[in-house]
Amino acid sequence: MAPISICGLTKQYGNVRAVNNLNLDVIQGEILGFLGLNGAGKTTTIRILLDLLRPSSGNAFILGHDCQSDGLQARLNIGYLPGEMGIYSDLTGREVLDLLAGLNGRAVKVSRRRDLQERLEFPESDLSRRLREYSTGMKRKLGLIQAFQSDPTLLILDEPTEGLDPLMQESFYKLLVDVKQRGRTVFMSSHVLSEVDRVCDRIALIRKGELVLLSGIEELRKLAARPVRVLFAEDVPIAAGLPPGNEVVETGPRAWNLKVEGPLGPLLRSIATLPVRDIEIAEAKLEDVILKYYRDGAE
Amino acid sequence: MRAAALLFTYSLKRVRTLVITTGLLLAALQLVLIFVAGAIQTSGGFEQLSSLLPPFARQLLGPAVVTMMSFSGIVCLGYFELAVMGALIALAVTLATVPTSEVEIGFMDLILARPLARHWIITRTIVLTMLVSAFMLALMVAGTWIGLRMFAPKGVLWPSATLINSLAVNLGMLTLCWGGVAMAIGAASSRRSVAGGAAGLLALATFLLDYIARLWQPAESIAWLSPFRYYNPFDLITGNALPLKNLFILGAIAVAGFAAAYVLFARRDISR
Repeated sequence: MAPISICGLTKQYGNVRAVNNLNLDVIQGEILGFLGLNGAGKTTTIRILLDLLRPSSGNAFILGHDCQSDGLQARLNIGYLPGEMGIYSDLTGREVLDLLAGLNGRAVKVSRRRDLQERLEFPESDLSRRLREYSTGMKRKLGLIQAFQSDPTLLILDEPTEGLDPLMQESFYKLLVDVKQRGRTVFMSSHVLSEVDRVCDRIALIRKGELVLLSGIEELRKLAARPVRVLFAEDVPIAAGLPPGNEVVETGPRAWNLKVEGPLGPLLRSIATLPVRDIEIAEAKLEDVILKYYRDGAE
Repeated sequence: MRAAALLFTYSLKRVRTLVITTGLLLAALQLVLIFVAGAIQTSGGFEQLSSLLPPFARQLLGPAVVTMMSFSGIVCLGYFELAVMGALIALAVTLATVPTSEVEIGFMDLILARPLARHWIITRTIVLTMLVSAFMLALMVAGTWIGLRMFAPKGVLWPSATLINSLAVNLGMLTLCWGGVAMAIGAASSRRSVAGGAAGLLALATFLLDYIARLWQPAESIAWLSPFRYYNPFDLITGNALPLKNLFILGAIAVAGFAAAYVLFARRDISR
């Protein structure tokens, strides 16, 4: 049973379609990065999953339960981190965690909360302070603790590292690896492509409410053009007949900088007769592929 | 159910300072009024006060003018004085729009992301509004009896317990009625200021309608639209029994408001 299954989901606001016929299945135990530009429909989709918004058509299921007609069961095993933590500032951190744990209807292990506090460097003394005294980063950490504290089967995280410093981001990534190893599923929206590249198993890219890409990270990396630098023993003019998929970025003295999509064989064959001194091949950047999808949308 | 009880406790905790402060102020006001009434009674000033009343006030008070210009009348004033009614209605509106506030700041997202049905949000708010209103009136009644024991001159006629209780119950129903109206507006709104402002303006407009209708005959034909028409303290202090019809109408408005709040909140999108 898929932790999240979305079938033909559409959400319309007047003439605007925030989500348009979205179909998506999240696989058990994976970390799925949900990407898209601002206003692409990421948060709307997440809010429909939590039954905060009602879809215009289509269905969404969490662990087999319809998010709208069987919402209570659907939300029984979810940890949710919203994009912005809206909490009354006169509450203390502990009051927030206790209240939200109580509303979950499942007991929270003290050891689990302590472990999260330690990982995110959130001392007990800070839990006694009122939220008005918290920095943005502290509120984010509190948000992460409340989402993870009941050890849910499914985590839905909206821009989880927004406001976290690099060290805390690192701790968060380790936390994700840990929950994944224990078989939990994570559905997270993000703008940070390097983060997605690092922690996600698959990505779903949404543009203007429509799913335009759903792929594993490794498969996607294969689609990316690799930067290739060819060094020559003498000046060589750029060849007119470079194989398809090979793009010249720039030429310098005794060097070509290229971007190569697909296998390298055709390029190697085309330069076999030239005075090649060396070839430097860098790793393909996932960001290039994703940015291409973003740009295509902008155009 | 356990989660709903937890949410209720949390909400009660959040408003406790406001509730206790308002309650103590209202109770203190009863003490002050009784102290003043006692002083006027002792100095024999009620006859003079009565002769100073302008004609429009006499028309407004009607047959109650004699009772009002007495120790007992001033004691009862604590249950229909404009500031008292305003404070109680404002408190009811504030409590009834708690869900709107939670939607506005985003806390509702965190609450409803849990396995908690939406109707519990409204049920929690209704119970909160009813309990707090009852607590306010209980404090006022307690203030009245403490004040009478402390400041009433010897031999003066006290208002009966039935009269005080009738005034308190009728005022409580009026408060709940506005709580229901505010809750219905708030359930469809994402801004507490909008919901509270709309309910407040509606209360003011209907209060003025009732007030004008008591002085200007043509407005009488539409005065039934005002909930304030169903709280007539002057009738009560002249010795008439509390009309159950008034309680029923105010209760019906409150129930209609609560029901509308359930329906609107269940159907709406939760978005800021």
